[in-house]
Amino acid sequence: MGLPIPNSKLGMWLFLGTEIMFFSAFIGSYIISRNGSPGWPTDPHITHINVWLGGLNTFVLIVSSYFVVVAHEKMLVSNFKEARKFIAFTLLLGLVFLGIKSVEYAGKFEHEIIPGKIPETPTEAMFATASRLQRVVDRELAAIFPGTPAADRRTEMGNRIASAGSETATTDPKDAPPAGKAATVTQLKALSRLNEAASSLENHVRFGLAMSVTPEQLIEYRSSPTPGQFPAITLADVNSFVESLKKDVELSPLLGNFHPAVPILYGNLFASNYFLMTGFHALHVIIGLIMFLVLLAMGSKLAFRHAVVVENVGLYWHFVDLVWIFLFPLIYII
Amino acid sequence: MADMAHLHGNTYFRVFLALCGLTVLSVVADLLSLADRRIIVAIVLAVATAKALCVMLYFMHLKFESGWKYILLAPTIVLALALPLSLLPDVGMHYYPQDTRQSREYARMQADGHTDHHSSEPTNAH
Repeated sequence: MGLPIPNSKLGMWLFLGTEIMFFSAFIGSYIISRNGSPGWPTDPHITHINVWLGGLNTFVLIVSSYFVVVAHEKMLVSNFKEARKFIAFTLLLGLVFLGIKSVEYAGKFEHEIIPGKIPETPTEAMFATASRLQRVVDRELAAIFPGTPAADRRTEMGNRIASAGSETATTDPKDAPPAGKAATVTQLKALSRLNEAASSLENHVRFGLAMSVTPEQLIEYRSSPTPGQFPAITLADVNSFVESLKKDVELSPLLGNFHPAVPILYGNLFASNYFLMTGFHALHVIIGLIMFLVLLAMGSKLAFRHAVVVENVGLYWHFVDLVWIFLFPLIYII
Repeated sequence: MADMAHLHGNTYFRVFLALCGLTVLSVVADLLSLADRRIIVAIVLAVATAKALCVMLYFMHLKFESGWKYILLAPTIVLALALPLSLLPDVGMHYYPQDTRQSREYARMQADGHTDHHSSEPTNAH
C-alpha cells in the first residue's frame, strides 16, 4: 500500500486538483484580459460592486470554514451531536452567503450589468437609454393590452384615447378583447406622451442631433443631412432629457425605476468575467450545501467511520473558501 | 491519521482569527486612498496569498501531509498556469497596435483629459 491516506481522501484531492485548474483558468484569463484592457471599469458606482457585501461574504465563508474544521474535530472525539450542530451552522452560513450573493446579482440585473447588454461608449449609451425607454412603454402596453399583438398596441392605445372622447375615466368597453391592467384615459395619455418622448429621443440619437433640434429641423436634416448644421447630441443631453421626464408629474409613476444607461468601457468583458467566476463559485457553494444536507440527513447514524467523509466534505468546502479568498480582492478591491 | 496529532482546537481558532484579521486588513487597504494603486494591489494580493496558505496548511491539513501532496499538486499548478500564459502575449500584452472600439474610446477619453470613472488610473479608482 503506497499512500498513507484513505482512498476517498485521495479521490477528493485528485478532484480538487482538477478544480484548481478549472478556477485558475477563469481567474487567470480574467487577470490577463483585465491587464490588457486599459480603461477597465473600477468605479463601484459604475460596476455596482460593493466591497462591504464582498467583505461580509468573505467573513461568512471563513467562519463556515472554521465550523467545518470544528465539526471534523468533534467527529474525531466521537461527539457526533456537536459535529452535526456545527455542520448545520455551516449549512446556514452557506445559505447566508448565497443570500448576499443574490442581493448583489439583483443589483447588477437592475442596472443591466449583463454580458452583451452594456453600452461601452457614450454613443452606445445614448442608444441604450432610448431603447430602455421604449421598453418601458412596451412593458406598460403589454400589461394594458395583453390580447393585442405587440405591433398593434400603440395604435390600440391611440384608438382608446380617441374613442374615450370625454374626460371620463374608462376601463374597458364591453366589446373589447380580454382586458389587462385597467388604465384610465389620463394614464393612457401619459403613456402616449412617454411613447412620443421615447420615439423623439430615438430619432435624435439616430441622427446625432441635440434634443433642442425641433421635429421640423429633424425632418429637414433627414432629407438633406448637412454636418454641423445643428448641434450634436451628447450623453449629458440625453441624461437631462430623461431627468426632465422623471420630474414630469404624469410620467414619473412610469419611470420610477428607470436608470439611464451609463457607458462602461470593457463593461461586457467585465460582466462576463464577473458572472463566470462568481457564478461557478456559487454553484460550488450550492453543491457543498447539498453535501452538508446529506450528512445532516444521516441524523444519529453519523458515526466515527464517517469522520473521513466529514474531512473530505470539509476539504471541498475549504477549497470553495480558498477560491473566494482570491475572488474577493481581485473583483471587489483591485 | 498522522495529521490530527499535531492539531488542536486552539490552533484552528488562532488560524480563524488570523483569517478574520487579514480580511479586515484587505478592506482597510481598499479604503486607503493611496496615490499609487499598485501598492494596494500588492497588499491585497499578499494578504490573499497569506490567507490561502493559512487555509491550505491548517484547515486542509497540508502542513501535516507527507510527500504525496507535492506529486499530486505540482502537475495541476503547471497546467493551471498554461492557459493564462498562453493568453498573455496576445490578450495581455498586445504585441500589435490595438484597434478596437474600446481602445479608440479610451484614446479619446485620454485626449479629452477625462479623469472620470471609466479609467482605471490610480487617481480615480475610488
